Amino acid sequence: MSASAARISATRGPIPREAGIGLRFPHHQTVLDEQPPVGWLEVHTENYLGGGTPLAFLEAIRRDYPIALHGVGLSLGSAEGLDLGHLDRVRRTVESIAPALVSEHLSWSIAEGRYLADLLPLPMTEEALRIVCRHVDRTQTVLRRHILLENPSSYLRWRHSTIPEWEFLAAVARRTGCGILCDVNNIYVSACNHGWDPSTYLAGLPATAISEIHLAGHSVRQLAGGRTLRIDDHGSRVIPAVWELYAEALARFGPVSTLIEWDTNLPALAVLVDEAARAAALLDCARQKIADADAA
Amino acid sequence: MPTLLELQRAAGRSIIAGDDALAARHVLADGLSPQARLGIYRNNFIGTLTGALKLCYPAIHRLVGAEFFEGAARIFITAEPPRRADLDAYGEGFSEFLAGFPPAGAVPYLPGVARLEWAVNRALHAPDMEPLDLARLGAVADAARDHIAFLPHPSVALIEANHPVDAVWRAVLAWDDDAMAAIDLDAGPVRLLVERRATGVEVTRLDEPAWRFAAALYASQPLWRAIEAAPEVDAAALLAEPLAAGRFIGFELVDSPITSGLHS
Repeated sequence: MSASAARISATRGPIPREAGIGLRFPHHQTVLDEQPPVGWLEVHTENYLGGGTPLAFLEAIRRDYPIALHGVGLSLGSAEGLDLGHLDRVRRTVESIAPALVSEHLSWSIAEGRYLADLLPLPMTEEALRIVCRHVDRTQTVLRRHILLENPSSYLRWRHSTIPEWEFLAAVARRTGCGILCDVNNIYVSACNHGWDPSTYLAGLPATAISEIHLAGHSVRQLAGGRTLRIDDHGSRVIPAVWELYAEALARFGPVSTLIEWDTNLPALAVLVDEAARAAALLDCARQKIADADAA
Repeated sequence: MPTLLELQRAAGRSIIAGDDALAARHVLADGLSPQARLGIYRNNFIGTLTGALKLCYPAIHRLVGAEFFEGAARIFITAEPPRRADLDAYGEGFSEFLAGFPPAGAVPYLPGVARLEWAVNRALHAPDMEPLDLARLGAVADAARDHIAFLPHPSVALIEANHPVDAVWRAVLAWDDDAMAAIDLDAGPVRLLVERRATGVEVTRLDEPAWRFAAALYASQPLWRAIEAAPEVDAAALLAEPLAAGRFIGFELVDSPITSGLHS
């Protein structure tokens, strides 16, 4: 008991409404050594389930930064049910790290007991909505806290979908009390891939549920006939159009804790810190606008 | 309209086995064929898992080269997709796969190196556990000592290979061509102890009698069996070293004359 109390007291408070970066293994030591000027850090829950050396790094880093745990493996949209063993491993990690936020995705990754190593889109149906809500409820009960649910990026839509994705997400938040992690890059990628209006998407999300924003780079694949498909590979800087959409999101939701994600072709830590500084500048603008409006 | 369960099973088969027939029917084409859209997820599936295998098997990757590795990984991943979402635990069967993969037959030490890399990966990710409190051991009555069966720390693994795979592993990861060239691949089998120490994962060679003793000990056989397996060793010395190193996290008494009295 005393050890766990000591761990929790070592946690650096809530996630500030500032810019943070996604922390990946190659930057563990650099972050410890250099203490980069970012407001908070987020890690993938699944990379710390086993313990050992990765967890030892996270234990050290969390003394200096607020930490969010971002899950990629719960498969909240799987009709065959949650992997309760996985949920239990997540619970143990959440209890030992005591993160300021815990998030997962509106997607599915497991079929017939096989993990498909990607965040697959759900059909936007009443059946899928019921299943996701049931699994979010269960997860929040087991973790004894609210989670955030992130909108996915996708490369296909199912024919029998009837509910716009933003309405689906808003309904899950309303029914389960979960927060929303608004991934602005994902909105942009999916909107381009499926012909949606990204502003309509943002406008459809309940502002009070937005607790975190993600930003990342993506790549563009040329298809036959001059069409393109945007691939959410988190392997480059945030593009100008996504920065613009981010500014629009901040105008709508106010200054929200914002994370720079980078997973493939991971650059030097300084590049991530530079991207976070750009987000921080836009967060300052959003705060200034609110202050100006209050003064007027 | 398929149920969600039906849809996910069909999509899973498309992604893992390339069988698009059922899943493609439910995908909107919209300028790109359903097969091509499903193919993006299949590529991500293979790409992500190949990346996970590369992280776990860096020496194999360097030994066989990127192209061979990716080809072998694709076949392995399709045959043995992960059953859990934490990919640190994925890839255990890769050494056995390589052993039965004809194109890898020209490099007979490959499966042994892969087994070593898997043990290193497990040691890295094993949970932290408190080592056995030696005072508890001191409280065991003399007559029961030989019946102690130790519970090893989860980071500890023993590996036996027909080639000096530890030397290969070190040389390859150090990009040391001279060391690699100096290895006598026919030097005979090696017996290795893999464990995580405070400073990182360590791989240590054991001689053959010590290996027999350790194999019984770390398989949680009672001490008398370990002594019987290696009568020529100094058991007290071979036991003192792992106890001091914290390689055990507990013990139980098996068939002890003190606790059961049945086999006295």
